[in-house]
Amino acid sequence: MAKNKKEIIAIQSVSKIYHLGETVVKALDNVSLSIYENDYISIMGPSGSGKSTLMNIIGCLDVPTKGDYKFNSELISEMNDNQLANIRNEKIGFVFQTFNLLPKLNAMQNVEVPLIYSSLGKKDRTERVEEALSVVGLQDRMTHKPNELSGGQRQRVAIARALVNKPSIILADEPTGNLDSKSGNDILKFFSKLHKAGNTIIMVTHEESVAKLSKRRIDIFDGKIARDE
Amino acid sequence: MNSFFKNILIGLFSIRSNMTRVILTSTGLTIGIFTVSLVTASISSIDKEFAKSMDYYGNDKIYVGTWPWSFDFDWWKYRNRPRIEESSLEYINQYSEYVTDVSIKKNTWTRASFGNKASWVQLNGVYPSYQDMLSGTEIVNGRFFSQNEWELQRRVIIVGASVRDGFFEGKDPIGKKIRLNNVTFEIIGELKKQGMGMVPGGSLDSLVLMPSTTFERILTRWGFDELVLKTNPDNVPLAKEEVGMIMRVARKIPPGDDDNFAVNSADAYQTQFNDMKNAIAGMGFLVTGISLVVSAIGIMNVMFVSVRERTREIGLRKAMGATNFNILTQFLSEAVAIAIIGGSVGILLIRLTVFGISSFPIASFNGSTLPVSFDIILVFYTFIVCVVIGVLAGMIPARTAANLNPIDALRDE
Repeated sequence: MAKNKKEIIAIQSVSKIYHLGETVVKALDNVSLSIYENDYISIMGPSGSGKSTLMNIIGCLDVPTKGDYKFNSELISEMNDNQLANIRNEKIGFVFQTFNLLPKLNAMQNVEVPLIYSSLGKKDRTERVEEALSVVGLQDRMTHKPNELSGGQRQRVAIARALVNKPSIILADEPTGNLDSKSGNDILKFFSKLHKAGNTIIMVTHEESVAKLSKRRIDIFDGKIARDE
Repeated sequence: MNSFFKNILIGLFSIRSNMTRVILTSTGLTIGIFTVSLVTASISSIDKEFAKSMDYYGNDKIYVGTWPWSFDFDWWKYRNRPRIEESSLEYINQYSEYVTDVSIKKNTWTRASFGNKASWVQLNGVYPSYQDMLSGTEIVNGRFFSQNEWELQRRVIIVGASVRDGFFEGKDPIGKKIRLNNVTFEIIGELKKQGMGMVPGGSLDSLVLMPSTTFERILTRWGFDELVLKTNPDNVPLAKEEVGMIMRVARKIPPGDDDNFAVNSADAYQTQFNDMKNAIAGMGFLVTGISLVVSAIGIMNVMFVSVRERTREIGLRKAMGATNFNILTQFLSEAVAIAIIGGSVGILLIRLTVFGISSFPIASFNGSTLPVSFDIILVFYTFIVCVVIGVLAGMIPARTAANLNPIDALRDE
């Protein structure tokens, strides 16, 4: 692994424990992990393995029960809700399996959502949105609503939304799960392109073929990292 | 601050996409605001008209009559009372310290006609001194009758504004002759227009004044008489007590017997009026208060539905960096906007209603209109009420939304 790159994420002995009534579920058990700038990582594992929990913690949607999580040397594990919201807004771009576009907003407005919660003015926001949409090749679909776009186009709008605040990492949760193989391949090619352009990408997936495209693969099993190469 | 307004806009945007639901929900508040405004407007109008009537009776005058001024009039108790005798005035003139001026006031209603036009007017037969006792109005044209005319029982009258408007199309009525109860009278003076009041008979402007001597000789000896006594406004309570005692002496009422007359003044009316007004207001606000609470519950309900429907959106927005406060603002502004929409429609309705009522003349003769007024301040208060209702109704749903866990919210189907 390239050690001369800048470390973005440092996870040290992190555990996440859920209490479901009487039973105690260790979703993550003493996991340590470093992620560097311009990594292209796929996280694999069967359902219930803890990969979603790991994604949620990396994405600052959740905080670990034990252990330290540093993002750009900032200690995430001790932040409050508002600070987490800020980190998510500024540093992380999310791409979801089900796209999660707001059906009543057009492509531009959907891409603008993260910027609404930033301090950017209207003019800057529009500029950034147009830039992000042209990066994903949808400059001529800007005023279309999600139901006027194909699945692949919708996911590209979602990727534009993830890129629009120039995040440190892009977190993609089964980004091709809801797409036919052709659109899925297009999206994956696009991720490779983004990676070459210098972005850090972390992707959760079920599919071996998808994972092969990434540069580093982490397997999770029973809340522990089973393989990291 | 910037993002605060952006979140308000997001809230407003979601209103636009659910217009039917919003309109139905806000109707409750529309009705509430409509009724509350109507009650307020009516009360303030009644108040204004009542103040006018109070001016008419004057704060410096005492009226001695057969019956007390009261809204709960006990006919059986008062019906056998003797009439007021003009002779009592001599006692009052002689013994009273506080009363500075006196007049009889003989009241009746009669038919007035000019050419082929006719109308009912209120007739007062008074002393020449009544000129200085006029309140709430004054002679604006012509003159009052003189002592001489009073003694000679001249057929001269001073008329209210509705006679000018009704009979002479607004032209100068001085010198014109009209018929009262088929007797011809000459108009020598005109009273200032007062508009509608809450005196018996409705309009203060359909009043006709004449010498009490003429009244008695030509019209009737059986009007209902009152003594009008003028005093210093500060001395009204003392003067009333004093006049009461003088009246007992004048009527030779033995100690221990009840008065068989009543000493009235405007302030007693005021107290009763306030009680009545408070009763109306109390009922009105109770009923509208209930309707406001019901509409607030309606808004709360719709907000809960909205939060439920948009759980994924909330999750997504939080994942994109929305803080709890951002989400709270978004949903609160949605609730407040629903409330304001309801309130605005209510205000619009009340505006139209007031316009409709006030442009509809209730009597073609005097051109008076129903006294309902509309205050701009009402709009302001309504706005405040709507904001408060919106915030109260939206708070719990909005907090529920704001406190959603983004992971669970995103997973919501």
